[in-house]
Amino acid sequence: MGVAPPSIRQVTPSIRHSERRKIATMRDTDTVPMTLLRAPFEARTWRELAYVLVGVALSCIAAVYLFVGFATGGLFAIVLIGIPVLVATIVGGRVWGELHRWLCATLLRTPIDAPAPFTQKPGILGLVRSGLTDPVGWRAMVYLTVKSVFGAAAGFFALLFAATAALFTVSPIIWWLEHPINIDSNGVERRSMIQIDDFYFDTLPRMLLLASVGLVCLFLAPWPIRAWTAIDVILVRGLLGETKRDKRLQQLQETRTTAVEDSAATLRSVERDLHDGTQARLVTMAMALGRAEQKIATGDDATALIADAHANAKEALRELRELVRGIHPPALDLGLPHALETLASRSAAPVELSVNLPVRPTHGIEAIAYFSVAELLTNVAKHAGASATWLNVATVGNDLVITVRDNGIGGADPRNGTGLAGLAARAGTVDGSMTVTSPPGGPTVVTMTLPLAGSR
Amino acid sequence: MSSLRIVIAEDSVILRDGLAQLLIDRGHEVVAIVGDAVGLGPAVDEHRPDVAVVDVRMPPTFTDEGLVASIELRRKHPEIGVLVFSQWVETRYAAELLAGNASGVGYLLKDRVADVGEFIDALARVASGGTALDPDVVSQLMGSSRQRDALERLTPREREVLALMAQGLSNGAIATALTVTDRAVEKHVGNIFTKLDLPPSDAHHRRVLAVLKSLG
Repeated sequence: MGVAPPSIRQVTPSIRHSERRKIATMRDTDTVPMTLLRAPFEARTWRELAYVLVGVALSCIAAVYLFVGFATGGLFAIVLIGIPVLVATIVGGRVWGELHRWLCATLLRTPIDAPAPFTQKPGILGLVRSGLTDPVGWRAMVYLTVKSVFGAAAGFFALLFAATAALFTVSPIIWWLEHPINIDSNGVERRSMIQIDDFYFDTLPRMLLLASVGLVCLFLAPWPIRAWTAIDVILVRGLLGETKRDKRLQQLQETRTTAVEDSAATLRSVERDLHDGTQARLVTMAMALGRAEQKIATGDDATALIADAHANAKEALRELRELVRGIHPPALDLGLPHALETLASRSAAPVELSVNLPVRPTHGIEAIAYFSVAELLTNVAKHAGASATWLNVATVGNDLVITVRDNGIGGADPRNGTGLAGLAARAGTVDGSMTVTSPPGGPTVVTMTLPLAGSR
Repeated sequence: MSSLRIVIAEDSVILRDGLAQLLIDRGHEVVAIVGDAVGLGPAVDEHRPDVAVVDVRMPPTFTDEGLVASIELRRKHPEIGVLVFSQWVETRYAAELLAGNASGVGYLLKDRVADVGEFIDALARVASGGTALDPDVVSQLMGSSRQRDALERLTPREREVLALMAQGLSNGAIATALTVTDRAVEKHVGNIFTKLDLPPSDAHHRRVLAVLKSLG
């Protein structure tokens, strides 16, 4: 048994992506004082500052855009000219969305997936209706409204804070060069540019105090900016990004492609097996029998030819039986536990089986489970060099959970070779998932989760 | 070998005609042929055959109606042999079929008909109260056996003898199949019984049952 912690590989690209990001932003020197001291000098801070600046400008333009679009569109809607304006305004929200996602990606290094593209129903009326009800466009309108109301203000205050801090920091220089004069309520001239009530900053020590306050604030200034950009990113992701439905749609399209490809590949392999194996055997058999017939007609001995045909016939039967098992194992009619029992007894490597299935899964799930286990056991026999394999099948909630564990050499990686990745894709077609834990030196544990009811 | 009276239950016309022809050629009498499990009971009641050959998958559901009918037949007419005949074999079906009694019962792959001699031997064995279990079932049983350690203590030849014993062959038949003497087979059988810790048994079908039980 290895002592190294097992590395878990979830075969889902999005999770891998976020894991990588988390690792990338972790540093050894991430202590609070270090972070505070470093913040003003980080490129990230300046990019965020740029984002906020651009954001304030865009908020103002967006406010005008919303006002002009909806006011003229709404006003002229009665005479129909306004309707195209409204449609353009709403669908134009997509361009705003694209602009903001681009800013997020370039300035904040936060790529946000785009929502589904605009689809219009046929005809001008269809275009109008699709435009007026475009969810992506409306969500962009909400974003622009929020941004023009709060965005400008929040951005403005964040910038004002930074600017004031900067001004305080450099104020002694200005004070020294410019000799600003203030007259207080008693008519006394004070050499000061800033005062708090009756407290005048009119001496060098006092100016230096002001400068140090400014300096401290300058180090704090990145944080309101960072906070505001973080909130903005949440807004962009929520209102301008991909919706759950978009994600689901994309996932369904991907898994549907997998399912179609999978079944086509299965049919191709069945065809190949039939053509190269069984059909060839039957042809050989027919030829041998034909020759035997001729031999017998001429009074010759045909025993060898008939024995040959006989052997071919038996082999063809055996091949067909294997083929049928590959398409739909008859044992599955008896239920998954029994089919797995048969499978385990046929496995080249010894398998310890434990099945606990109070609820029978659907036929489709049973078939996926069966063929996945078959492939996993084959993998173990081929690659793991294991002396023992444990197959555990149980229900957890509404899921069927299959665990195949072996004491082999480990090092199985779904990214190498197509076997494990193919299994994960197959599980994906029914919203299932698969995890592989296989540190070098073993043990390897593959866990597959499938919904009992066939989908989620 | 005396002529056997046989009932066939099989839905495939080609197969049942071929099977009937093969049996008639060998001098046996096919007294009835039925195409589904429902017809089996009445046909057996009427003709009282020595043995019934029954397909597992038959109309209407094409799952296990032949098996269910066979179990019913064994319960009702224990003296009539039943040879269950299938496109594929499952240990579970074998277990249900035998259910503590291995006399006059067989469970074979349809492919076995290709070796006519062996098939007829198995049929005669079942008709006379013996057992015929398909080599595939036996190898599945041995593959999933809880006695794996004990099985590993057997020599390869002893494992061969064990497999043939589980298939229902007598010592004489095992000797012929392996081309060794009866004495040699007896010696192997003795060793197997010792190594698997089985009670010695004289009755043939009890021996099969003991062997199967030890494997399961």
